[in-house]
Amino acid sequence: MARDRGSSEDFARPIRRILVAGTVLVLLAVFLLWRIDSPRAERLRAAIVDRIVPNLEWALVPVTKTAEMVEGFQSYASLYDQNQELRRELRQMRAWREAALQLEQENAKLLDLNRVRLDPALTYVTGVVLADSGSPFRQSVLLNVGARDGIRDGWATTDGLGLVGRIFGVGQSTSRVILLTDSNSRVPVTIQPSGQRAMLMGDNSSLPLVEFVEDPGEVSPGDRIISSANGAVFPAGLLVGQVVLGTDNRLRARLAADYARLEFLRVLRSGGPPPIDQPGQLIVPADPPETPMPAAGIIAGEDSADG
Amino acid sequence: MAESLGVQRVIWRFAFVGVATLIAFVQLLPLGSGSGGLPGPDLIALLAIAWVLRRPDFVPIGLIAVVMLVADFLFMRPPGLWAAIVVLGTEFLRVREQGLRDLPFLVEWGLVAGVLLAMTLGEALARLAFMVDQPSLGLTLIHLILTILAYPVVVGVTAFAFGLRRAAPGEVDDMGRRL
Repeated sequence: MARDRGSSEDFARPIRRILVAGTVLVLLAVFLLWRIDSPRAERLRAAIVDRIVPNLEWALVPVTKTAEMVEGFQSYASLYDQNQELRRELRQMRAWREAALQLEQENAKLLDLNRVRLDPALTYVTGVVLADSGSPFRQSVLLNVGARDGIRDGWATTDGLGLVGRIFGVGQSTSRVILLTDSNSRVPVTIQPSGQRAMLMGDNSSLPLVEFVEDPGEVSPGDRIISSANGAVFPAGLLVGQVVLGTDNRLRARLAADYARLEFLRVLRSGGPPPIDQPGQLIVPADPPETPMPAAGIIAGEDSADG
Repeated sequence: MAESLGVQRVIWRFAFVGVATLIAFVQLLPLGSGSGGLPGPDLIALLAIAWVLRRPDFVPIGLIAVVMLVADFLFMRPPGLWAAIVVLGTEFLRVREQGLRDLPFLVEWGLVAGVLLAMTLGEALARLAFMVDQPSLGLTLIHLILTILAYPVVVGVTAFAFGLRRAAPGEVDDMGRRL
């Protein structure tokens, strides 16, 4: 190498080395900036994505549609089986519909008796999925609604049936939804009918883990998982999915939302956590309680009351 | 090829940006979202490596840095880290490009595999040092193996679809310097 071939450019070597070092340093500076002041860097990221991705929308939409049509065409092959299956499901659904109607009437009566007011704050904005995360290690989608539609960080997102994720990163006309399957997703949930609290922890697989269950003995596969209002992350009572036992014998959640076909998502105006506008500070209650710790029995009582 | 080398370079640089945009575009398509499928190869980094080992003057360092940085931002990676590592990796290979010209492709593939392994290790160490969350080991390994396996494909597409080949012996640029 150093013998003859590069010798004609020997004068350029030190300059080249400085150029390489400079470029790498600039890139590492960007990385350090992101590490030190993550919220601001993520806003920058949202702004960049906001600038680039909508430009591709004209191409993204037809390609996606074509791919979906091909998929739909393939399913023609199994049309007969599908038809039979749908008929079977329809029969079951009729029975459920009857049950649901009766329950609805009963529920309305009970609510009336109790004079319960339902939370009117849960209105929603619907967005179309623009793009994927593009990376194998991140599970997120990009919606075509953003700050100009009033979207804010932390709002819950559903696909109409089940919880999908939360808003994380808002640009002017796009916003990113971090899915429950992302390895950074941690969501407090309640498992019905036992009322156990747990955390739903994404691990990049399609079945997120159900961890920190108070008493795993009371949870069995098939139980319903709904969101809980713990930590003010999400509004309570959104359907998340069902408990299943993974192949590794850990409790996992089969999500109710159809993750293979995320097309339209509802962003619930749910309040969400306080906005992060400064780095590295603990989020504490505004007025710390002055009374000493209450007895353990009272804590347990409160827990069971709002769970 | 009637164009002078300078015009060619500009065309090839635009082609690099165009192909990288196309790859990013395909990866961003909301098709397989949410399911924990196989992590595909890092095609943009492979493209940079393959082109650097064919015609280093077509993919200058600044171009690689900018393209990788934008890819970092788009693909939700820690911005700058992977870009810096790819720049280091391609510079390592760029210096050795002339020495590799006469050697069989398998040697080149082996060297690229080694560089990719070192890049992945470097990224893992940097993530560890700066306490950024690590993707799981299994996924990272699959990603690395798929990336290494995809290298011949990228090189094949580069050579046959784009017609990008190594500089012939004795080829000179406008200033009469050897390539």
